Amino acid sequence: MTKKVNLRFLPLALFVLLLAFLLKGLFSDPNERDSALIGKPFPQFELPDLNSDTQIHTEKTLLNEPLLINVWGTWCITCKYELPYLAKLAKEYDVKIVGLYYDQNHAPEFGQYADIPAIRIEVKDMLARLGNPYQYNILDLDRSLSLNLGVTGAPETFIVDGDGIVRMHHMGDVNERVWREKLAPVWNEISQ
Amino acid sequence: MKLFVIAIIFILSFSSQATEDQIIFKSEQQKSTYIEVIAELRCPKCQNQNIADSNAVVAKDMRVKVKALLDEGKNKQQVIDYMINRYGQFAHYQPPFNFATSSLWLLPIGFILFAVFVQINRSKSESEPHGNTSELDDELAQLLVNPLDAEEQGVDNILNEDDTIDKKDKR
Amino acid sequence: MIPELGNFALYIAFAFSILLSIFPVIGLKQNNARLMAMAPNLTLGLFVFTLFSFLCLVYAFVTDDFTVVNVAQNSNSLLPTHYKFAASFGSHEGSFLLWLLMQAGWAFAVAIWSKGLPVDMRTRILSVLGWICVGFYAYIIISSNPFERTLPYFPVDGRDLNPLLQDIGMIIHPPLLYMGYVGLSISFAFAIAALLSGNLDSTWAKWSRPWTAAAWAFLTLGLTIGSWWAYSELGWGGWWMWDPVENAAFMPWLVATALLHSLAVSEKRNAFKSWTVFLAIAAFSLSLLGTFLVRSGVIVSVHAFATDPERGVFILVLLALVIGGSLLLYSLKAGNIKSFGKFSIFSRESMLWGNNVLLVAATIVVFLGTLLPLVHKEIGLGTISIGEPFFNQMFTYLIIPFALLMGIAPLVRWKQDKLNNFITKPLAIIAISVTLTLVWLKVEFNDIKTLALLGTSLGIWIVLFTAVELKRMLSKVSFIKLPLSHFSMVLGHIGLAFLIAGVALTSQYSVERDVKMFVGDSAELRGYQFNFTQIKNIEGPNYDGWAAVINITQQGEHVTDMLAEKRFYPVQRNTMTEAAIDDGFFRDIYISLGERLPDDSWALRLYVKPYVRWIWMGGIIVALGGFVTLFDRRYRNRKHSKQG
Repeated sequence: MTKKVNLRFLPLALFVLLLAFLLKGLFSDPNERDSALIGKPFPQFELPDLNSDTQIHTEKTLLNEPLLINVWGTWCITCKYELPYLAKLAKEYDVKIVGLYYDQNHAPEFGQYADIPAIRIEVKDMLARLGNPYQYNILDLDRSLSLNLGVTGAPETFIVDGDGIVRMHHMGDVNERVWREKLAPVWNEISQ
Repeated sequence: MKLFVIAIIFILSFSSQATEDQIIFKSEQQKSTYIEVIAELRCPKCQNQNIADSNAVVAKDMRVKVKALLDEGKNKQQVIDYMINRYGQFAHYQPPFNFATSSLWLLPIGFILFAVFVQINRSKSESEPHGNTSELDDELAQLLVNPLDAEEQGVDNILNEDDTIDKKDKR
Repeated sequence: MIPELGNFALYIAFAFSILLSIFPVIGLKQNNARLMAMAPNLTLGLFVFTLFSFLCLVYAFVTDDFTVVNVAQNSNSLLPTHYKFAASFGSHEGSFLLWLLMQAGWAFAVAIWSKGLPVDMRTRILSVLGWICVGFYAYIIISSNPFERTLPYFPVDGRDLNPLLQDIGMIIHPPLLYMGYVGLSISFAFAIAALLSGNLDSTWAKWSRPWTAAAWAFLTLGLTIGSWWAYSELGWGGWWMWDPVENAAFMPWLVATALLHSLAVSEKRNAFKSWTVFLAIAAFSLSLLGTFLVRSGVIVSVHAFATDPERGVFILVLLALVIGGSLLLYSLKAGNIKSFGKFSIFSRESMLWGNNVLLVAATIVVFLGTLLPLVHKEIGLGTISIGEPFFNQMFTYLIIPFALLMGIAPLVRWKQDKLNNFITKPLAIIAISVTLTLVWLKVEFNDIKTLALLGTSLGIWIVLFTAVELKRMLSKVSFIKLPLSHFSMVLGHIGLAFLIAGVALTSQYSVERDVKMFVGDSAELRGYQFNFTQIKNIEGPNYDGWAAVINITQQGEHVTDMLAEKRFYPVQRNTMTEAAIDDGFFRDIYISLGERLPDDSWALRLYVKPYVRWIWMGGIIVALGGFVTLFDRRYRNRKHSKQG
């Protein structure tokens, strides 16, 4: 008899549990996606510098010290708001930032090619106007490094430690609040 | 010479008719694996679409990569693992198997087993279900309420007629 | 002026709902016939003013009144008039008003078509509906009012309706779906009224059935049209994506189907009563949960309305009160429900229990699949996705026992039957079904795919057994005396058979080609020649773009001409693919125009989809089954029952 009574209350109990999760869900972002790169070594790559026809970067030349790697593009509207802040981080907080330029147009399989000279000019303009946080920029034309990093667009930012391990992968722009709450603790730890 | 030119033109006219597939598959098997994989991988940036149906840049890149991996000889699971290692479990529409996700299979099965158990119990604990008085009362009550209801019940009862009893009588 | 009247009417309707929640209830307590008699009249008032309010909103849309925020955000002067009408319920606020209109409408229908019900039962039911309305009207007035003005700003034009919604599907799918969702509130109200009064006799079961059938039929139709619309409109030939919003509509349907079958047992055999009450509560609860999921921003979906967390909290509170309250009532009062029907382990009752169990198991699958990612994330295990592969796998498992039962059950006697009677016939029918399927697949496709074999055999199994049962019925009862509800069952089962077979065949045998074509090129797919004859500019009322003219031939003979379009809507800056579809009973030809490539060739996706129409044909037949039962003579008899 008591078993039957308990059974009848089960739907109610389960419903209350559901309510709790739905309430939590209301205040979290359903589009949020975990990064698969945390704790893993930064992927190998061989890509040209954005502004040079001859200089090539690899993970060996890149990863010698704690770094912020910022994925961005001139087409990206949010990046415009992010650049001044990153420039401030680079200058005032001595954060080493390298840019990974994400181009959306380059798609040789479909017969579309990016216009590198045009990109260089746009980049130069934008950085002059809004601030330049970058030590240099790596051009990821075919987005192969971005794919290996699990990047889906811009802006995204990675914190890599001195051993070349990815410690943080932030999707979205970096601003004062994001830096303070999410990135700074990790950065401070690895740059001791 | 003229014949040669005509032959060339003839051959060329055929090739201008033939339409290229956007993606050249090595075999039908590869094509069907490709179609399966791109339906199972989720576009990491879209509002709930697989990479087959999405036109986002990252979806296109992933499709190209899937094809490249299949060309290298990787099988379906390897391709999916490749993408999971980069985009996380989020990118696969089939969830990983862990303590929490096991409920996806255990709860429905558990419910079915439990419900079957309940039904067996319910029918066991009843007394002989052959023509008891309360059932006759039900039928009478029905007749008093609404003749049309009784009619429907009547039709139902006709179906319940015992064929085998008739057959036994005929023997 | 009109929007203000609409807003005012909404307030009046709200007032009616408050009155409806209070006075008839007092009447019940005091056994005051006059107060109880107020209920139908208050319901009339509720409906009339809600209808007026809705019409005011439609008027604002149709007359391009962009000083109303909702119109400015969802419409445009260039939008064709019928889409302006659709835009009135294309947003969260507007669709919520549509929901309320349906709710008031259903309540009003109960008020006028309840002559067969005892007065106190009718009063209780209308009061329950009144309580639900109070919460919902409060919600729309306080947090989602569609009549908000943009004044003192006066937008010159509106932001246009999302081009994806500019389709006939938008005009019929949401209203049908809402009729179904909201209609389930009637079965819910019946169940709550029964719990409150303690009276769960045959009257309750008998009168619940047509209301449940009507709501269920609308929901079936809404889902079917939704699937067809997605296929026609989205451009890649999919017809069910297990998207959370689709699942949110599917769950109430699954439970309502179980409820429909369970009610039959409750009415005819006085059994499963407590379970039936639970199902009635669950069905409407899932409707409410569905509407929460769509409007709250908790899940990611192409269908979701954009909204904010505060509104979500309000709906969650409504959910807590309605669902929590009814489940609490059930927990406390269900013990008083006594079912007296007795039956053995092999009986029609058991078969229908099997039906219910499988449907509820399916609901659990969909429920978990939709909500587990949220739970998984919130308990810190990370972000996962659950989609097609999982749902398809589970439903393939579940459909097998379900279809098998569906064939046999109508032949099993109530109360007790002999298992031995059910060996030769089923085996024979399995053999026939499988053989027929093998022949069919070999002849048509020259390739036997396992899942297609399975699905099609199950479909034939159902059809054959339905025929056997019908023959047996007709040998004992004349055609005229057969109740309409029996035909309902026949239609429902045959419809599902077509649906299962259609799903199996189209998912296994559809073919596609992704090609690059210049004008003048030709491509072959499954015996059809796709001849790309022309590309032309097109212009519509609020769009422009390109159309590819493709001429289809088969073995040299002309089949049809098709137009695949790419449209650009300048207001929302949206590009849309309008797929070309040549529909047929046996196959669809489907062409989707892709991008124009740099060398001036075009990317095209060509499909041949066998038997895809059977899916919607099946759905419509099933829905027809639901509507047919409403005309059964039993429900048209207005004689007032004196006995409880």
